[in-house]
Order: sequence, then C-alpha cells, then structure tokens
Amino acid sequence: MLMEVEVKDKIYSLGNARGVFEKEFMPHMDAMYNFALKLTADEDDAQDLVQDTCLKAYRFINSFEPGTYAKAWLFRILKNNFINDYRKKSRGPSKVEFEWVEQSISGEDEAAEPAYYADLQAETVNDMLGDEITAALQSLPVDFRMIIILCDLEEFSYEEMAKILDIPIGTVRSRLHRARALLKTKLVNYAKTKGYN
Amino acid sequence: MKRSCEHHQDCMQLIQKILDGEASVAEKEEFFANKDLCMPCQKGYELESSLKENLKSKCQLSCPEQIISKIRTKLFLLLILISILIPLFC
Repeated sequence: MLMEVEVKDKIYSLGNARGVFEKEFMPHMDAMYNFALKLTADEDDAQDLVQDTCLKAYRFINSFEPGTYAKAWLFRILKNNFINDYRKKSRGPSKVEFEWVEQSISGEDEAAEPAYYADLQAETVNDMLGDEITAALQSLPVDFRMIIILCDLEEFSYEEMAKILDIPIGTVRSRLHRARALLKTKLVNYAKTKGYN
Repeated sequence: MKRSCEHHQDCMQLIQKILDGEASVAEKEEFFANKDLCMPCQKGYELESSLKENLKSKCQLSCPEQIISKIRTKLFLLLILISILIPLFC
C-alpha cells in the first residue's frame, strides 16, 4: 500500500514528501535560523521556532507548489508561527512599537521623519563590527527588524515581502523607509558612544 | 555641485528603491544622471549602499548542525509514526 501525507491539493507519497523537503526546504535552513534568531533574540527560542516551522511545512507540504519560491513560503510560515506563538509568549508590542508601525502603515508623518542620522557616513558603517550593526538591528521594534531582514539580508522583492507579511506593497515601502531611518538613528547614536568619527 | 537637495526625502526613497532592485530603468537613469551633481544625494547613495552591504555581509549566521540533525530525526520519527498508524485505519 502506498502511504501518503494528508492531502489538500495534491498527494505526495511519504518518500516523495521527504524528497521535496530535503530538496526544496533544507537549503534555506541557515536563512530561517538567522531570521528566527533575530526575531526571538534567544537561541533556544530560535531553534524551537525553526523546528516548528519545518514540521508545519512538512505537515502542509501538499499546499506547496514545487518550482515556486520555497524560501518565501517557509518565511511566511515562520513569521506566522512567531506572531501566533512566540510573540504572544514573550510580550505584546510596546506603545512605541505601535506608534512607529501605525505611522508607517498610514504613510503619515513622512515629512516629519527625524534626520538625526544626517551625520552618519558610509565609512563609519563600513568600520563597524557585525556585532555592533546586529545590536542596532536588534534594538528596532520587531516589525521594523523583520522588514529589514527580509529586504537587506534575504533580498526578497517588495512583492514577496508583501505576501510574507500580509501587507500591501505601499506599506512595505513606507515601513521599510521608516525602519531604515530608525536604524540609522540607532547607528549614529551608537557610533557617537563608541567614538567612531 | 549642489550642497543641499530640495527633494532629499524623495531622493532617499528613490535611492532605496534603486538599491532594492525595484526602480524602473527611467528612474535609475534619471537618478544617476543627477547623482554626481548633488552632494546630499551622492552621500545618501553611499550611505544606503554601505548599510545594505554591511547588513548582508556582517549579520548572517549559519544554522547549527545540531538543529538540522534534530529536525531530520523528528521528521524520520514522524514518518515512522505515520507508517505505523495509516495501516491501522485503512
């Protein structure tokens, strides 16, 4: 008898399902772990989040269309997992987080964007260590952190990010712009305290 | 060369769009034709590209091998479990 994984759109035998998993999903483990670690800021939580994501991906493997972009599909599962489980466990978003994100979603306040980073130079950023840039990234509200990781570290397109995050493309653009503005503000403050020129 | 840019906010958004690979050919041509004539835009372009490059090159980690092994083990167990359970219900 041919044993099958539960079916929605198509049927995979167990062997095929495992093959699809190894071929399509396993190459993205580093990216998933990196994303999970930056979201949770905790190694154990990141490990659990990656494992849960993989098991969920395996469970719903029939809704994955081979040949489509597996990485975006996995990141969407991971993001939903994080929001539904891990974020609730740790804490709700802070007031500041809400304010920043609300402004970015509404697209308001664009003209009033702070320009504290005006004296941040490309050379300063080049001189900074990975840990220092990572620390600045980690200090951002999670929605801002998430969009910078998706765009700058993982190089997703705006359209892919919109699908992963369940937001319109216009919101992707404005959120990304505000996230980068805040990151530069954090970096310039950090550079000052560390005595970078 | 201009020392101030009256469209700086718009230019910064366009710079990010270009670096993110989302700008049209016309937008790119227009920006690069003017970039070297405007210091804030030139500096803005350098800063945005160095930030993007440094994030990409300095903030990546590899997934520990033990996690990959754990996931493979769990999947293997799941497969065995399914293999045992399915015949019982068919």
